[in-house]
Amino acid sequence: MEKLHFNYAATEKIAHPVHIGVVASGDLEVIMKPTTNSESTLDIVTGSDGFKEVWGNVLTRFFDRYPLLADFEINDFGATPGVVNLRLTQAMEALKNE
Amino acid sequence: MSNSFVELHARQRALALLDQGTTRELIGPFDNMISPHLEPQNIVPEADDGIVIMKGQLDGKDSVIIAIEGAFQGGGIGEVSGAKIVSALEHVLADNEAGHTEYPIIILDTGGVRLQEANYGLLSISEIHNMVIALKQYVPVIGLVPGRVGSFGGMSITNALLSYVIGTDKARIGLNGPEVIEQEAGVKEWDASDKNLIWNTLGTKQRQATGIIDEVVDDDVKAFRTAISAAINENKDSHRDQRGDFYLSLLDQLDPAKPLDIEGYDKLFKAVEVKEHHLAAAVSGSKPGTKSRGRNWFELLTGIKKAQSDVPTVLQAQAGGRQYIAIVPDENNRFPRVRHGEVGLQEGYTVASVVNDLIKADADKPADQKTPIVIVVDVPSQAYGYKEELIGIHMSLASAASAYARARQAGHKVVSFIPGDAVSGGFLAQGLQSNRLVALDDLDITIQAMSKASSARITQRTIAELEEATKHVPAMAYDIENYQKLGSLYNLIKGVKGYDSSDEAVKTVKKALDEAFKSLEGVKPDLSFRYTNDIAVEGVAGGRKATNKVRALMDAQWNK
Repeated sequence: MEKLHFNYAATEKIAHPVHIGVVASGDLEVIMKPTTNSESTLDIVTGSDGFKEVWGNVLTRFFDRYPLLADFEINDFGATPGVVNLRLTQAMEALKNE
Repeated sequence: MSNSFVELHARQRALALLDQGTTRELIGPFDNMISPHLEPQNIVPEADDGIVIMKGQLDGKDSVIIAIEGAFQGGGIGEVSGAKIVSALEHVLADNEAGHTEYPIIILDTGGVRLQEANYGLLSISEIHNMVIALKQYVPVIGLVPGRVGSFGGMSITNALLSYVIGTDKARIGLNGPEVIEQEAGVKEWDASDKNLIWNTLGTKQRQATGIIDEVVDDDVKAFRTAISAAINENKDSHRDQRGDFYLSLLDQLDPAKPLDIEGYDKLFKAVEVKEHHLAAAVSGSKPGTKSRGRNWFELLTGIKKAQSDVPTVLQAQAGGRQYIAIVPDENNRFPRVRHGEVGLQEGYTVASVVNDLIKADADKPADQKTPIVIVVDVPSQAYGYKEELIGIHMSLASAASAYARARQAGHKVVSFIPGDAVSGGFLAQGLQSNRLVALDDLDITIQAMSKASSARITQRTIAELEEATKHVPAMAYDIENYQKLGSLYNLIKGVKGYDSSDEAVKTVKKALDEAFKSLEGVKPDLSFRYTNDIAVEGVAGGRKATNKVRALMDAQWNK
């Protein structure tokens, strides 16, 4: 297990918290909460050690396209970068509902 | 087109069952109530700790869904997840007591105790048992076993306590998983790689044919909703925890020395001639029984020397106005898997018959005059065996747990005295339904959810890694002194060991029991002592801190 932390400059505020996914084998959960910070914070707990750089790449691509301003909590149980990207996108879509 | 229920995760399952627009989740993923015990063991937690509590309406009826997420840590029950279930059920009970009818529905998708929080899991599950039994006086408690993990371990004891259980053909129900049986009893007892045998034995088709599950429906959301509504409207209750006479008669007609296959069992099941079973009090015999700490203390406390019983593994007698019950080893027992004192099929049902007889005999007495019960706890585990699973040992353990809980709820004071081991399902059946646990401060006592070898295998760790974890998490430890740090014990008796028999030792234990019974005068007959005492609340070395946090948050959110 490894704990990672990232910050990203972001501009689009979110109105309500969202939650997507489960901490199942090869999967992860993503929580986004509205924040008063000026940039997005990401606290990640991952079961797969040594992938900080890969996480950085996935997140950079995501924030380049969707600069969501929120506090992120991610609990990851060995998801591939593709699954991580999918769950982040689903969480973003959940913001549009309600 | 059907909408699969099995494919859904816990939260989606809860939402799918309830009427749209009526739902509200309690202690959800935004409430930051995660297990404090997983990260110290390098395990990734989940924000809801694998339990979804959802209030809402099902066909217009107020309901509370408790959904276990099987994909997270095998649906194992730890401290936070357990406390979420218990506190939700307590509120459902309080609402029903106050005249507001509300139906609890539990979705089981669980391996039982979360082994990384071992003793917390066992405590929580016993508290769930207590609430289910109390609730059944008001409303049916419906269980669903949709399948993926299925229903195993201590939560299968819960399963057997539920009023009515509905599943699909994608589910399995058992107590000990085949891997654990293979680990504990050898590959000849059960080859865990034989998937066909596993499904044919534990799958719901076989389980429905032999009374272990009530209804098997298509894997479809609507089918589940319809079946639940029917069960509620017709107030269905299969009383699975009170079939002792049937199963004890079945066991009388079974030769455990011979192999038993599924076909043979189905035949036996249909041919059972049911006779009533009552166990007479133990008497002094001519030769000593198999040595054990449980037997030692049963004999010392009742004054019956070389105690003999019609069921050699269950000793019961009244002495000094108290009922004593012990499960003991019997080296030549006809059931090989209980020879070391394990709680097997016969033991659970027999203990239940003793307690049920006592409840009946004392039914007309006022609560404060009902016979107090001392459970003498020395159980190395439940019995690990193929026949045990085929017949459904989880129901036997549920019968014992149910009997003790109903006795306590009726007003019998129940104290567990622990001079020996207190492990796993054995402890859930024989000990954990008492509201005072009194133990000897003896480091030879093992108190846990599973042996080290099996626990390491199931959690995919080495024994060395497991032992490292026990140093950091008291609930993972195997000794009575770490157990005390959880706040679970009422009293840890110093200076007396399991095999002591001096007058001084007996005097010390009797005094401790007197004191434990005295402390029960005028208090509610619930299990709250375990998490409300100072050690539990302050939680210097764990305690039940997280339990109390969950309870407070549930109180705050329930009627919001």
